[in-house]
Amino acid sequence: MHDTPLQPARGAAAQAPATSGRRLLRLTADLSATGEPALWALGGALAFGVILIAGFLFMISLNGIVTFWPKPIERVELASGQVIAGEPTRAGRYRVGQDVLAKLSGEQRAMVQAQDGYADRTLYKTANFDLYGDDFRWVSDYERKNVTAPNDFYLFERQQWGTFVGRIKHLAIDGKPAAFDYRLMQREQSAARKRFAQIRQIERGDIGAVNYQLDQQRLAIRKAVLRHGEDSPQAKAVAARAQSRIAELNKTFAGLQERLKEIRAHDQRYKATLEEVGGRTVDLELSQIVRFYPANELSMIDKIGIYLSRWWEFLSSEPREANTQGGVLPAIFGTVAMTLLMVVFVAPFGVITALYLREYARQGRLTSIVRISVNNLAGVPSIVYGVFGLGFFAYTLGGGIDALFYPERLPNPTFGTGGVLWASLTLALLTVPVVIVATEEALAAVPRSMREGSLACGASKWQTIRNVVLPKALPGIMTGMILAMARGAGEVAPLMLVGVVKLAPALPVDGFFPFLHLERSFMHLGFHIFDVGFQSRNSEAGKPMVFVTTLLLLALIVAMNAGAIYIRNRLKRKYSGPQF
Amino acid sequence: MSTTNADEPTGAKPPSSDRQDGPASRVHKRSMQTSKRVIWGEKVAAWTITVGGLMVIVAVLGIMVFLFRVVLPMIGSGSESGRTSYQLDVAQKIQWFSADEFQTIGTVLGADGEVVNFHIPTGRIIARQRFDFAGRNLSAVQGTLERDRILLGFDDGTLRFARIGVTSATTRRDALPAGAVMLDSQDQIHDGQVFTAVQTGDYRTLTPVNELGAVEKLSDAAIVALDYRVGGTVERPTISFASIDALGQARVSQSRVQRNMMTGEETVRTQTVDLPDMGLAANAKVTGILISGTADRVILASDDGMIYRYDLRVFDRPVLAERQRIVPQDVSISAMTLLGGEHSLVVGGSDGSISVFFRLQRSGTNSADGFELVKARTHAAMPAAIIDASEGQRDKSFVVTDAAGNVRVIHSTSDQVLFNFQRADGIDVPARAMIFPRSDGVLLVSDKGAVNQWRYSDPHPEITPKVLFGKVWYEGYDAPGYTWQSTAGVDTAEAKYSLMPLIFGTLKAAFYALLFGAPIALAAAIYTSEFVHPTVRSTVKPMMEMMESLPTVVLGFVAALVLAPLVEEWISAVLLGFFALPMGLLLGAFIWQALPQSVVLRYDGIPKFFLMAASIFVTGYIAYRLGPLFEHVLFHGDFKAWTAGNHGSGTPFMFLMLLPLSYVALAYGFRRYFGHHYRAFLDGRGRAGAGRIDILRWIVLLAGACVLAYLVASLVTALGYDPRGNVIDSYQQRNALVVGFVMAFAVIPNIYTLAEDALNAVPGHLRAGSLACGATPWQTATFIILPTAASGVFSAIMMGMGRAVGETMIVVMAAGNTPVMEWNVFSGLRTLSANIAIELPEAVKDGTNYRVLFLAALTLFIMTFIINTGAELIRQRFRKRAFAL
Repeated sequence: MHDTPLQPARGAAAQAPATSGRRLLRLTADLSATGEPALWALGGALAFGVILIAGFLFMISLNGIVTFWPKPIERVELASGQVIAGEPTRAGRYRVGQDVLAKLSGEQRAMVQAQDGYADRTLYKTANFDLYGDDFRWVSDYERKNVTAPNDFYLFERQQWGTFVGRIKHLAIDGKPAAFDYRLMQREQSAARKRFAQIRQIERGDIGAVNYQLDQQRLAIRKAVLRHGEDSPQAKAVAARAQSRIAELNKTFAGLQERLKEIRAHDQRYKATLEEVGGRTVDLELSQIVRFYPANELSMIDKIGIYLSRWWEFLSSEPREANTQGGVLPAIFGTVAMTLLMVVFVAPFGVITALYLREYARQGRLTSIVRISVNNLAGVPSIVYGVFGLGFFAYTLGGGIDALFYPERLPNPTFGTGGVLWASLTLALLTVPVVIVATEEALAAVPRSMREGSLACGASKWQTIRNVVLPKALPGIMTGMILAMARGAGEVAPLMLVGVVKLAPALPVDGFFPFLHLERSFMHLGFHIFDVGFQSRNSEAGKPMVFVTTLLLLALIVAMNAGAIYIRNRLKRKYSGPQF
Repeated sequence: MSTTNADEPTGAKPPSSDRQDGPASRVHKRSMQTSKRVIWGEKVAAWTITVGGLMVIVAVLGIMVFLFRVVLPMIGSGSESGRTSYQLDVAQKIQWFSADEFQTIGTVLGADGEVVNFHIPTGRIIARQRFDFAGRNLSAVQGTLERDRILLGFDDGTLRFARIGVTSATTRRDALPAGAVMLDSQDQIHDGQVFTAVQTGDYRTLTPVNELGAVEKLSDAAIVALDYRVGGTVERPTISFASIDALGQARVSQSRVQRNMMTGEETVRTQTVDLPDMGLAANAKVTGILISGTADRVILASDDGMIYRYDLRVFDRPVLAERQRIVPQDVSISAMTLLGGEHSLVVGGSDGSISVFFRLQRSGTNSADGFELVKARTHAAMPAAIIDASEGQRDKSFVVTDAAGNVRVIHSTSDQVLFNFQRADGIDVPARAMIFPRSDGVLLVSDKGAVNQWRYSDPHPEITPKVLFGKVWYEGYDAPGYTWQSTAGVDTAEAKYSLMPLIFGTLKAAFYALLFGAPIALAAAIYTSEFVHPTVRSTVKPMMEMMESLPTVVLGFVAALVLAPLVEEWISAVLLGFFALPMGLLLGAFIWQALPQSVVLRYDGIPKFFLMAASIFVTGYIAYRLGPLFEHVLFHGDFKAWTAGNHGSGTPFMFLMLLPLSYVALAYGFRRYFGHHYRAFLDGRGRAGAGRIDILRWIVLLAGACVLAYLVASLVTALGYDPRGNVIDSYQQRNALVVGFVMAFAVIPNIYTLAEDALNAVPGHLRAGSLACGATPWQTATFIILPTAASGVFSAIMMGMGRAVGETMIVVMAAGNTPVMEWNVFSGLRTLSANIAIELPEAVKDGTNYRVLFLAALTLFIMTFIINTGAELIRQRFRKRAFAL
């Protein structure tokens, strides 16, 4: 390696006199100079990285996209005589353990040994958690005797207890038994769902509003007592007023309860009797069935319909069954609200710092320290921000706000605990370097000539920045914002400390004054993934949900990134041309 | 700054002077002065932006200062908040005393049965009562841990249970009896009851309750010493007591109270057993007796320094398990007590020494039950003989009193003297002390009724720097060690706060992440910056940048629920893949070398890149197919069983580890000694021909490396080294390998972009110059570009490390979260960040765990601060140098 590449060529030329340039080229045979193996190692690493990324995205997309596609139901007779029915979810090869092998019959063992001790198995989603106590069952190929796809098996998505796989025995319509008829059941089920929505509306909306107002009245009394003293005339006046209002509200509440009881009683009269593959039956109100379909009799159009309706449910409704089913609307809402709020905080801070660094500061030790600080902000682990957010924002700042403005609610914290405000402030701190760096880049890209032109026309420095530099840099700044949003939307660790919850009782925005409730905890897509994948009773049951949520979150973030990159590229093209 | 800014607009003046030369008649006359608004706007803007810019520094410092402020109270020692002393009016020697948890009412019991309830802050007597002992003389008294239930032993061998102290109730503020007299600033007294105002405005009411139980005959001789415990649950309490009489006969009794749920009737069953003779020396006297709450252990001490331990796990058959001298000759055991949780035995000697013993299972001990009392700690000695030791009810602290009137509160686990008090009066009189139930003060009562009260607050007595970062011997452990266990399964077990396993876990995860990530990222960065067409670069780079903002929760989920089971099932294929992938690429390279020049030139660039990718796919598939065979040949068909040390030797693994090393050694040796000859040999053969010969060389080298590696591995095994139990140990599904791999996935984009930026920042003329001199791109890259960009590349790796150190979600989800300290690739770990994420949501604000977790955050902050600042300084220097070139 110590010789320069010319030497061997020259040496070779000395031995065999060069007659032509072509001949000389052929003689350059020092393989170490081209470093081909090393090049392949380098290129291989890049290819490996690209394959990893592509494979990763592909796997997430594939799993996420196929989740909602209706699968057929198979009825499997096992060698043990047991019969199961379920959706085949996935299959894989595995090594049969010695203890299992010992228990098998000779024929089965031969089957396994024919495959070098490996066996194929399929995971069936047998559902019916209320009857079996489990949702899934692995079936190895050696224990499977007979597989059929019976047409009378239906799949039910229930409001509670997850899915059910089985036949429909008979119906009860308006209290009278009726023979099963798919059309009839469909009609009655959609009517029952409307009743269910009504019940929901009364429970959540109307009774919720009454409860909220009752709470407000109680707080008003407490507030007056705290401010004026228990026996003061002011407090007594407030209490009297509140008490009369409370009595009124209680009457409304009773009325709503009555109405609820009525609808429920009516609802009880519409039922279906379902039978699982083993013959056990379950009675179910029609209103509890979210969706049902004959899995093995679906046409392509039916399947597409179910697929789309599941996506719609996923995007537009609330979760059920400990978040493993239903939708993620509150999580989407929480993510978006928190991210937007974060941008409100991060934008001025980031832009001002970038302006300082690029336009105002003299480059020297101070800017060097600022840059180190920016870099540190970018490099400090996100969980540390979470700790800081919890300790400083929630406990110190929030605790102070509570003591000043909400003494009547103590010891229950209002701002003194995690909430969407503190979460977005914490994330703002976390993402500010992204905005600073992008804004600096954008400011640097504004041609010097424009600045000089403006100054030469007599504009002051700030006028130049405001009217010439900032508008020109705006797309770049927007890029920074979008990147910051992408970063903030995907961050979970700090949120776990400052206000994210697995199931938020209420959205941060609602119809009650002041409409925007910054102190409320919220749900988040990223945390939803963590929660469903790791905290639910059965991670396998939650897995489809996790994949779909992951896909959604990834799509969100990739879209934001792609947008940012697109804007940046356009910007580059715009400014790379000749300046005026 | 602001002055220069303000000056600029006034630069508009010169044009005005120009205008005077021109025709002035048509020019509308207007003020040439810059308007005040503009000047002020300018000033405000400059000021705001400067302050805003500097806010970044404030933010970083603010975070650090805030974290530090939360941590600080934990390191500081407690503070004394007040003290009082007075003389109680009692006639007889005080035998027992107790106090309530609010430090309001104390109760003393005199030898003649006189019970006095007094107000602790003022010493005023609230109630006086006399227990009627019916002419018997009190010879021994002992209370339970809470001190309010006591057992009295008499000189005729009888026993009586008693209760002294107070009951607590709440009186509504409007029900406060009229005529209550203020005792001090907060307590009022009325009719023998003490009322204390509490936060809600109501009154806590304490009423003295002193009751004496019936006489029970136990022995014929006087009772010398007693111990009394109440255990079991609230519904089914067990009462246990141990006694020793003047004849040296020790007894243990246990009463089980069973309450009939239907009738509420209580039945008491009492069992008494005589303990076997302890073999007391002729002139020795028993000085203390202790019993555990479940009555399975009794410990006696004598004044000749011997300790006697009885094992009563089979209650009917007590065994003298162990007798041991635990203090030096001529020293007697003058005080002893069991700390809360009943694991640690505190022994005070007549020489002032204080030591703590654990009962541990030891092999080779001559005790009857396999356990032995082992001295775990020696606390700093007191100036005079210890006369009393009493444990705190909340933690592992205890108070000792010596004959010279010194009172010391010691926390046993953290080996720290919390408070040192000095009695001011009547030092010659023996006295005993207790820690108040809430561990916020000490009450000392001398035998003659002198009372001292010290109030203090020490919210974190269990924390010292040594506890956090050093080895601590915890109860129930065999030896001192680093342990993290902030929440224990049992109430009585103490929390263990060593940060070392967490720091270790953090570094371990970061190490494996960089081990996988850094080479790939750097190689990819060099390739992108030096060897590919700019179009490839402009698609690959944004893709990598996008990867940077991928939510790590997604990576963690994939790692834990997809990758970990997969790797576990196919560990042999994964292991083989580590070798097959590079091998495949090298094979590709050598084949490429052997191809005719025309083919090489034609398919260089993107097709070649696709070939590399194809090689990865092919070798990946081969590894998948050959995995079982590979496992069969090297690891007896079961790698996981092999790692657990069930079969086989360490040779196969060492062979794999040494294979790359021996290849490198052989290749280097070949070039060093035969390089010239080889080059001369290849001369004139043309590229493709030389390439064909080079394949041969490679295969020979590879075979040689295999042989060499196997020989060395066998040698190492023969010397007795086995990697198992060290770097390799039993396999867990969520392990460092998976974490490292997925975390590498998170750091690769990071390192890649920064390193690529650094390589790209090397001025183009250097590259052009090198190439113009005839260097190949490979030579240019290794000899010109890399050395120039080295510092920038290094800072990229440091940044990647900073990221790996702080990564949270991946580890939370995929690392198993076991705080262990072992280098095993196949075991789990718990990092600082994961620990915070898991425990902080449940930690009580300002509690010890809360503050320790803040310390963990501060540690993390400082770690990354150092790494990032270092990286940034290096990067700034690099940029300056690169631009100067």
